[in-house]
Amino acid sequence: MASWRHRIGLSYQLWRAQDGLADYYAELSQVLKKDSLAGIPLVAIDLEMTGLNAQIDQIISVGIVPIEQQRLQMAGAEHRLVAINGSVGQSATIHGIVDRQLQQDVMSQQEMLHWLLQQTYGKLMVFHHGMLDITFLSKLTEQVFNRPLHLPIIDTLQIEQRRVMRDRHVIEHGSLRLAACRKRYKLPIYVAHNALIDAAACGELFLAQTAFNAWSKQPLDDYLFWF
Amino acid sequence: MDETELLPIRNFLAEIAPFNELSAESLELCCRNISIGYYSKASKIVPLSTDNPMLYIVRSGAFEVRDADDELVDRLGEGDYFGFPSLLSGEAVSNTVHILEDGLVYHVAPAEFDLLRLQCRSFDRFFNRAYAKRLRHERRYRNRETVTTNRISSLINSALLSVDHNETVIEAARAMRHRHVSSALVLDNGKLCGILTDRDLRNRVLAEGLTGEVAVHQAMTPSPVTIEAKSLVFEAMLLMSEHNIHHLPVMDAGIAIGMVTSTDIIKSQSSQPILLIREIERQQDLPSLIAVSKQIPELLQSLISADARSEEIGRILTSVTDALTRRLIVLNQALLGDAPMAFCWLAFGSQGRQDQAACSDQDNGLLLAEELDAEAKSYFQALAQGVCSGLNDCGYVFCPGDIMAQNPTWMMSLTRWKQKFAQWVENPEPKALMHASIFFDMRPVFGPVNLFDALQDSVLQGTKDNDIFLAALTGNATLESPPLGFFRKFVLERDGTEVKGIDLKHRGSALINDIARVYALSAGIKEVNTAKRIKRAIDAGVLNRKDGLNLADALEFIGHMRLANQGQQFEHRQSLSNYLKPQDLSSLMRHQLVDAFKVVHDSQAAIRLKFMRSF
Repeated sequence: MASWRHRIGLSYQLWRAQDGLADYYAELSQVLKKDSLAGIPLVAIDLEMTGLNAQIDQIISVGIVPIEQQRLQMAGAEHRLVAINGSVGQSATIHGIVDRQLQQDVMSQQEMLHWLLQQTYGKLMVFHHGMLDITFLSKLTEQVFNRPLHLPIIDTLQIEQRRVMRDRHVIEHGSLRLAACRKRYKLPIYVAHNALIDAAACGELFLAQTAFNAWSKQPLDDYLFWF
Repeated sequence: MDETELLPIRNFLAEIAPFNELSAESLELCCRNISIGYYSKASKIVPLSTDNPMLYIVRSGAFEVRDADDELVDRLGEGDYFGFPSLLSGEAVSNTVHILEDGLVYHVAPAEFDLLRLQCRSFDRFFNRAYAKRLRHERRYRNRETVTTNRISSLINSALLSVDHNETVIEAARAMRHRHVSSALVLDNGKLCGILTDRDLRNRVLAEGLTGEVAVHQAMTPSPVTIEAKSLVFEAMLLMSEHNIHHLPVMDAGIAIGMVTSTDIIKSQSSQPILLIREIERQQDLPSLIAVSKQIPELLQSLISADARSEEIGRILTSVTDALTRRLIVLNQALLGDAPMAFCWLAFGSQGRQDQAACSDQDNGLLLAEELDAEAKSYFQALAQGVCSGLNDCGYVFCPGDIMAQNPTWMMSLTRWKQKFAQWVENPEPKALMHASIFFDMRPVFGPVNLFDALQDSVLQGTKDNDIFLAALTGNATLESPPLGFFRKFVLERDGTEVKGIDLKHRGSALINDIARVYALSAGIKEVNTAKRIKRAIDAGVLNRKDGLNLADALEFIGHMRLANQGQQFEHRQSLSNYLKPQDLSSLMRHQLVDAFKVVHDSQAAIRLKFMRSF
């Protein structure tokens, strides 16, 4: 079982939450009853935003890839575009999504939040640099549920930071970026900044980070981070 | 999901055989349904499960497949597969897959794997063949005739004449006269709109009483029948006779790139090798023979580019060498006078087997009807020297091992040749036998056949069912083994070492020649050509039909690769060699070549079992 710290933390969130979010936390607390990674459904997620400031910028696309039994399941992979107010502006050059694409058949920011919570219901989310993504999602939960999103996630950046610090004590600039981390595990080079590809890239990195042993032998606690 | 979303996965799969054969939809379906795993060296082996078989595609890292006896079966890198045998057979997993380097692996589940096999025949065939280790090339069943399977593109002459449709007929006719051609392409804004031929000038201008001032478009044959550059010469012949025409504009991607005429086809039909042989037979002195033999490399290249079977190429080139040898004998005899006794000029090795290719050296000898006296000796010495040095001048360099008629050791009477062979057969000293094996591939090039038959019959009588000799010969034939396969940019040897390339002759074709020789000598088969030996061995029942066909296919495939490789080297102006670099191979070729090596390896094991009673 995950340590009391995580479970109590989540119970507190559950106690304070209402409606949909409460249900979500309740289901997540089932996951924390496990004590190893084995058998825990995971979802690798990446969000693309118009910028890095959650107060101004908005989410424009989401990619998710489920991870089950230590494997990425591409059959469950999804990529969704999200409607924004105003224009994609400069960020279009990074993620290649232009305004025209955003106008057709896209979810609103709120719809996206509901959809994402549905997709990750009873699962642990896996991010690379989850703090940024959670901050953006948190802003949306404040709008919809009047509560910030506060929950344990898996963060490949945090895992990597811990490893690098343990091994070398110095973290060089840029050495924790997704591509740089993947390089250390000799993972193939992917074109970055498509939410789905980045989600898969993040999922693969997590597989690589945890491949040294069977998941049943890896304590869940080692991989939980709160933002 | 947008179909471009999984680009990194799709791009990777689209590069490797047999996924590159899948339709866009099938490939997309495959990408969407794979699962991705990462295997760490720390866990040592990939847990293959019999209950849940998968196709494993290596995306990165390195793996090693070992069989139940822990013998190395294969080493796998990016773009290689494992796990499919139990997927196809449903049988228990017997191999283990060791993780050499951490790696990312894509898994295809049975349901999707079966669906892909249903949707794409070549996908299905690829894995079934890899599983059955069988090598069946469609090539084998296509009835190919070198000349008629030539591509049109090989006939196009570079001097393409085109005229604008608004030019006058006079201008067009002058251009045709200047270029010595009987036809011109007519272009309208660069697009083909017709052709103008001698016949048009006669029928549509002169006979109609028109002057040369009329515009080309009034005189031309509009919207002519055309042919694609990729078509076969044969198809051009059909079109011409069907439409009763003599000119066909050649199109490539909608653009006229040349013209073929019936004359071009007749010229190509007159079959280069035959012409060359006739030319050889016409020459009256050595310098002109040397000049003619300069065409031989070109002949080889044109046969390679016409995609002829390697067996045919070997036969054709050898027949040219034979003609050259015969001509040299005749020319030398014209100087020396008639021979004092009957003799046979023997060809050994590749010329004997009729599988010569580029850079052949000469292996030959003289078989004489009787013992030599001093006079006869000096006659044959002079004859052999003349012929051997003539061959050397024509590009067939002196044999480094001195197995040549001009060497007195290999100029012997029938009796002494018989003794020589008997010595090898009755006392098969492995080392001596290794050097002697090429003598068993002998063929008469010049001289009375019955003299040769007398020798060959006695040799085969001695070898047939001769257990001790055959065991020794088999020992020699299995000293070298084909490589295991490819790993990254290297060729993987059976002991796991890596080399930068592979000698397709000595580690491929030569091994099959050795195997076929053992079978032929064991059954008293007179053929010396390897493909024919295999066929006769099957007929004689000493070689299992399926194994025999596989071996013949492997021979053809490796021979083809060797020639294609030399064709490439020729194009890049490199010196020709038998050395193949694995990075020059397509994914499919690599897999097929590995299959061919497996066949050779299995055949070696089979003769070892059959003739040496060992494993």
